[in-house]
Amino acid sequence: MSEAAVVGLLVATVQFATLVYLAGLGELIAERSGVLNLGVEGMMAMGAVSGFMMALATGRPWIGFAFAALVGMAVAGVHALVSVVMGAGQVVSGLAITIGGLGFAAFIGQDAVRERADAVFTDLGIAGLADIRWVGPILFNQPPVVYLAGLLGAAAWFVLNRTRLGLALRAVGESASTTDSVGHSVTLLRSGAVLVGGAFAGAAGAFLSLYMAAGWTEGLIAGRGWIAVALVIFGAWRPGRLAAGSLLFGFTLALQPRVQTFDLNIFGLEVNTISPALLGILPFLLTVVVLIAISFRARHRPSPAPAALTLPYRREER
Amino acid sequence: MTDPMPEPTHAPLHTVSRGRARWHRGLIRPVLQRRSDVVPAAQAIAFVIGIAVALVAGALLLLAAGNDPAQVYGRMLDSSLGGINSISRTLLRATPLALAGLAVAVAGSMGLWNIGAEGQMMAGATVAAGLAMTAGDLPGPVLIVLMIGAGAVGGVVLMAGPALARAYLGVSEIITTLMLVEVSIRVVEWLETGPWKDPESQGFALIEPLPDQASLPGLFGRAHIGVLIAIALLAAFWLAVSRTAWGYELRMAGSSPATARYAGISLQRKVLTALVLSGALAGLAGAVELTGTATRLDPGLSNGYGFAGIIVAALALMRPSGVAAVAFVFGAVQVGGQSIQTLGVTSSIATILQAMILIGALVAAVLLNYRVRWVRPVGHDAEATGV
Repeated sequence: MSEAAVVGLLVATVQFATLVYLAGLGELIAERSGVLNLGVEGMMAMGAVSGFMMALATGRPWIGFAFAALVGMAVAGVHALVSVVMGAGQVVSGLAITIGGLGFAAFIGQDAVRERADAVFTDLGIAGLADIRWVGPILFNQPPVVYLAGLLGAAAWFVLNRTRLGLALRAVGESASTTDSVGHSVTLLRSGAVLVGGAFAGAAGAFLSLYMAAGWTEGLIAGRGWIAVALVIFGAWRPGRLAAGSLLFGFTLALQPRVQTFDLNIFGLEVNTISPALLGILPFLLTVVVLIAISFRARHRPSPAPAALTLPYRREER
Repeated sequence: MTDPMPEPTHAPLHTVSRGRARWHRGLIRPVLQRRSDVVPAAQAIAFVIGIAVALVAGALLLLAAGNDPAQVYGRMLDSSLGGINSISRTLLRATPLALAGLAVAVAGSMGLWNIGAEGQMMAGATVAAGLAMTAGDLPGPVLIVLMIGAGAVGGVVLMAGPALARAYLGVSEIITTLMLVEVSIRVVEWLETGPWKDPESQGFALIEPLPDQASLPGLFGRAHIGVLIAIALLAAFWLAVSRTAWGYELRMAGSSPATARYAGISLQRKVLTALVLSGALAGLAGAVELTGTATRLDPGLSNGYGFAGIIVAALALMRPSGVAAVAFVFGAVQVGGQSIQTLGVTSSIATILQAMILIGALVAAVLLNYRVRWVRPVGHDAEATGV
C-alpha cells in the first residue's frame, strides 16, 4: 500500500467524519432536550439541494452553506411544530420529515442535477503546516467546514455543560414536568434544540453538495442521515465521544470505495477481498451492540440516554 | 432510550436561576387543553383534512414549478382510480403498503414501534429468494407457499435481536429495528456483487433470476393474489385483536403495563410475541412483493414500503380497517405519481403528498382532540396551578 493511498484514506476519513459529526451534533442537541428527530436524512437532503442552488446563484459557497442551515432549520420547524408544540408522536413526525424532505429535495432539485458546481469550498492549505508529510494533508489542508465543525463541537460542549441554558436543556431532556415547574418553557427549549439540530443537519447536507460530492443528485444523502442518528447513540449523547465515534464511522465510510484497491494482507486476510457493502454495515451493527451494552451497564449506573427522550409533554396532562 | 428508566441523577434543578429564565413568561402563548366533548370519527376526519392539506400544498408547489395542478391531479386520479386497470395498479402498490402497515400495527397495538419493517421486508425477500434458488424445481404453488413462509422466517430472523433486547433488557426497539434496515439492504448489495451474483449478468451486479413458476398468480389487471393475502391477514388481525382474550391482553399490556402485570400477564412474553409477529408479517410482505412483482431479488425491492407502512399504521391508529383504507389511498397516490412523469412532472410529488397527508392529519388530530387556549400571563403562580 502506497503512502498516497494511506494519506488519501485518512484525508477522506476526516471529511466523512466531519459530515456525520455535523449532522450528529445537531441530532445530539435535539435528543438531549428529549426530542428524537428521525428526519435527519430529509433535512440533510433539503440542505444539500438548497445550499447547492444558492451557491450556484450567488457564486459563493458560504452563502449556500448558511442558506442550507436556514433551510434545515425551517424543515426542523415542522418537526418542532408537530411533535413539540402539538405533542404528536416524535417517531412518526420525524419519519414524515425524512420522507417528505427527500421528496421535496428531489422536486426542487430537478434542474440542479445537471448543473456543474463552480462555487464549491476549496481546501484551506494552512501556510507552513499543509506541506508537512502525512500530517499536513490530513489535518492542515482540509476545507474550512472541517475546522468549523470542530469549533461547533467545542461550542456545543461548552453550552451543554457550562451554561445555564445547557443545564435547562439537559434538564428538559430528563424530565419535562420538573423543568416546567421551575419556570422554564418546555416548548421553547425543545423547539429551539430541534431548530438548532435542523440547522446542523442542513449544513451537513451542504458540505456534501458543496464539497464532498460537489453536485446534487437524488440519492446524494445515501443513508448518512441514519448514520448520524446511530452516531448519537454510539457517542453516548456526548459531544466529545461523538467526535471519536465520527472518526470511526468516517473511517468505515472512507474505506468503502477504496477497500478493494488496497493490496494489503492483515493476518492472512487479503484486505481487497472485503466487500464494501459489508463494511458499510459496521456503524449500524456497532450501534446496536453499544445500545445493548448500555442497557447492561444501566443496572449499575444511570443510562446516558436522556430519560425523557421520545416522551411528548403537554402541560395539561400533568 | 432504555427502559426501565433510571432516575436522573445529575442536573441539580434547584440551582437554575428563576428570574432570568422567565422572560418568555411575559408573552401571550397558546396552551392545548383536551376537549371534554369527543369528536366522533376524529381520526377519519383528520385523515381527510390531511389529504386536503396535502392537495392544496401540492397544488401550490405545482403552480410554483409552472405546472397546471388540475391537469396533474386529473392524470393522477385517472391513472389510479379511473377504471378497472387503474384500480388494479393501485391495488398492486396498496398490497405491500397494507402488509407493512399491518406489521407495524401489530407492534403498535401494544405501543411498540417497529421502525424496521423496511429491513424485515428485505430479509424476508432474501430468505425467500434463497429458498427459490435451492429448491427451484418444485412445482409453482408449493414453491410459492414455501417462499412466503420463508419470508416470514426471514423477517423474524432480523427481528429476533431487537425483540429479545426489548423484552429482556429493555433496549428501545425504535433504534435497533431502524439500524437493521441499513444492515439488511447492504447484505443484499453484498449478495448481489458476490455470492449470489448471476453468472450470466457479466459486468452487471445482478442476483440470479427467480424460477419462472415462482410468481404469484394474477387476480385481475396488474393486481396479484397478494391483495387477498393482505385482506385475509388484516381480517385475522382484526379478529385476534378485538375478539379474543389474547388481543385484549395485548392492548392492555400496551396501554397500562401495571394493570396487565397485576392481571398476571407476562409483559416480556407479550412484547416478544408482538414484535416477532410484526417481523414475521413484514418479512411475509417482502416475500409477497418478491413473488408478486419481481423477477429477481434486488436491494431496491422494498422500495420504501416499509417506511411508508409506518405512516400507514400511524394514520390508521393501528386499526386494521384503517390500514386497508390508508394503504389504498397511498397506493393511489403512488400510482398517480408514476403516471405524471409523462407530463414532465417528477414522481417525487407523490412522496411529498404522502408526507404532507401525515403531517396535516397529525396536526388536525391534535386540533380535533384539543382546544387551543391563548394564555395571558397574570401571575406566575396563578398560571402554574390554575390552568
